[in-house]
Amino acid sequence: MAIYESIKPEKESTIKQFLDNPPEPEMSIDYEVNKKDFVNSGKASSDIKLLLKKLGVSTEVLRRVAVASYEAEINITAHSQGGKIVCNLFSDLVQLFFIDIGNGIKDLEKALEPGFSTADDLVREMGFGAGLGLPNIKKNSDYMKIVSEYNDHTELELLIFF
Amino acid sequence: MEEKKYFHAVRVNTDLCKGCTKCVKICPTEALRVRESKICLDETRCIDCGKCINVCPYNAIEPISDPLSIIQPFPYKVAIVSASYAGQFSEDIDYETTLKGLYEVGFDEVIEESAVSEMMTRIKQHYIASHQNSRPILSSNCPAVVRLLQLRFPSLLPNLFHIEAPMSVLSMYYRDLIQREKKIPENDIGIFLIVPCIAQVTAVHQPEGAYKRMQDGAIAIKDIYNQIGNHLHKIKEMDIKIKTHPRGLVRALSGLEADYVGTEKIRTLAVSGIENVIDILHKVENHLLDQYDYIVLRSCTNGCVGGNFNVENAFIARSKINNLIKYSKNEDYELDSLYSCYLEGIFDVMPLEPRSMMELDKDIKQAIYKMKKIQELLKILPGFDCGACGSPSCKSLAEDIVQGNAKLEDCLILCKNKEDLE
Repeated sequence: MAIYESIKPEKESTIKQFLDNPPEPEMSIDYEVNKKDFVNSGKASSDIKLLLKKLGVSTEVLRRVAVASYEAEINITAHSQGGKIVCNLFSDLVQLFFIDIGNGIKDLEKALEPGFSTADDLVREMGFGAGLGLPNIKKNSDYMKIVSEYNDHTELELLIFF
Repeated sequence: MEEKKYFHAVRVNTDLCKGCTKCVKICPTEALRVRESKICLDETRCIDCGKCINVCPYNAIEPISDPLSIIQPFPYKVAIVSASYAGQFSEDIDYETTLKGLYEVGFDEVIEESAVSEMMTRIKQHYIASHQNSRPILSSNCPAVVRLLQLRFPSLLPNLFHIEAPMSVLSMYYRDLIQREKKIPENDIGIFLIVPCIAQVTAVHQPEGAYKRMQDGAIAIKDIYNQIGNHLHKIKEMDIKIKTHPRGLVRALSGLEADYVGTEKIRTLAVSGIENVIDILHKVENHLLDQYDYIVLRSCTNGCVGGNFNVENAFIARSKINNLIKYSKNEDYELDSLYSCYLEGIFDVMPLEPRSMMELDKDIKQAIYKMKKIQELLKILPGFDCGACGSPSCKSLAEDIVQGNAKLEDCLILCKNKEDLE
């Protein structure tokens, strides 16, 4: 089991406080993501984006959530046997879980290097697999945690403050 | 805070409306509802794209433009003609004659939008090169697209080409030139746009980002066409010397405009039709199109030739204009000084502001509470999106209920199921 955590330093205390005492989300929505279904992949992140627009979240935050959630959704589609997305809403942040079953990440450190990719031919033909997914997700979130067991599953958690 | 009043170039005639909900379902910003069997327009959400006008079988939604008589009070009357005008007439009539027709209906000077095309291309190329941090740059010429961004894609507003539209650039330039050269006082000059769509009418009456109103009215192409259509053969004999610049007509066609701006270093994309525009903007928002430098976005099919105020079918008009661009004689306008005006910032527009009508509530806690209610309602509603309730989809009905603008009993399917059970 490999674990990777990244915290934006300027939000460190707020994030730790949140993680130590996780409050009940004000609202929670689940989405199914199917493996290799590139036609529908992206719908959940679109929906999350729309949801946040309706809550009046600032445009800058909206863009970050859109990019991070889209990349993570594509990851499930491209690299796993399918999974789900859980979107937990709080009044000052959104918490996103991307949980899949399947392949897991063999070398987590490598996976975080920009340009590194294990994408297969199908994924590349679909225009993905440039190796920028995880680095982009990291860049756009305030907190990112990856827990992965090779050949078993991956769980990605993100926190983005409004 | 006082709600801003929005001008719209559509008028709803409730006497003609039969409450069929065709317009409700086609509106890209969900600005229309049928309530008590009559249509109502949410003026904060309408972007003047004109889709509802085309789809209404009862002519209950009327496009608005200024009547030709509006030019009368002005001693010196100037027409600036949208490029799509050239595609409206029969090919027996040469382009020059159709422009002469505007003198016939009372104008003292006629200027083609196409005059400034090459200059605008040069300005855009410079703008794109000098705004490397913003990709892609999005065209701002279509007023419906600008309003769509303000309403649904506010995060993309900084990507808009923040420079006046070609017809406004021409308005500024000629108002000044006529004052200087013809010694006509500013207030005696009336500048009017001959426009292909309602969005341009709205842009003239309530410009976004402009420091001041630049034109005195917007007249529909079809109104001019109807005035001069019957005596074009007589007009052909009129003894007026006029310039034509068909090469610049590319503005009317979204694909061509993108081709002209594109270079080896500037990658362009042309998108037309409001559904396609929305699809592309979602992709831009997700950073999927950052490899493009410039995207031309037009609300109407094929670009401005698809606007409500044209007479000819958009595809045929496109072919006619293409022909004119390729095979007609061409005279250039002397507009070189415009480039230095651009560099001085004279054509800059104010940063465009979002129109925040998307959020459910100003207070985020309250908004989340409403969102929860909506999700609960969605579990009860049938999910057919039939529109019979008067809202465009089950989701929007749920939202309308939560906002106090509709009731659960408005859903006919639920009512029927309840009756069946009883």
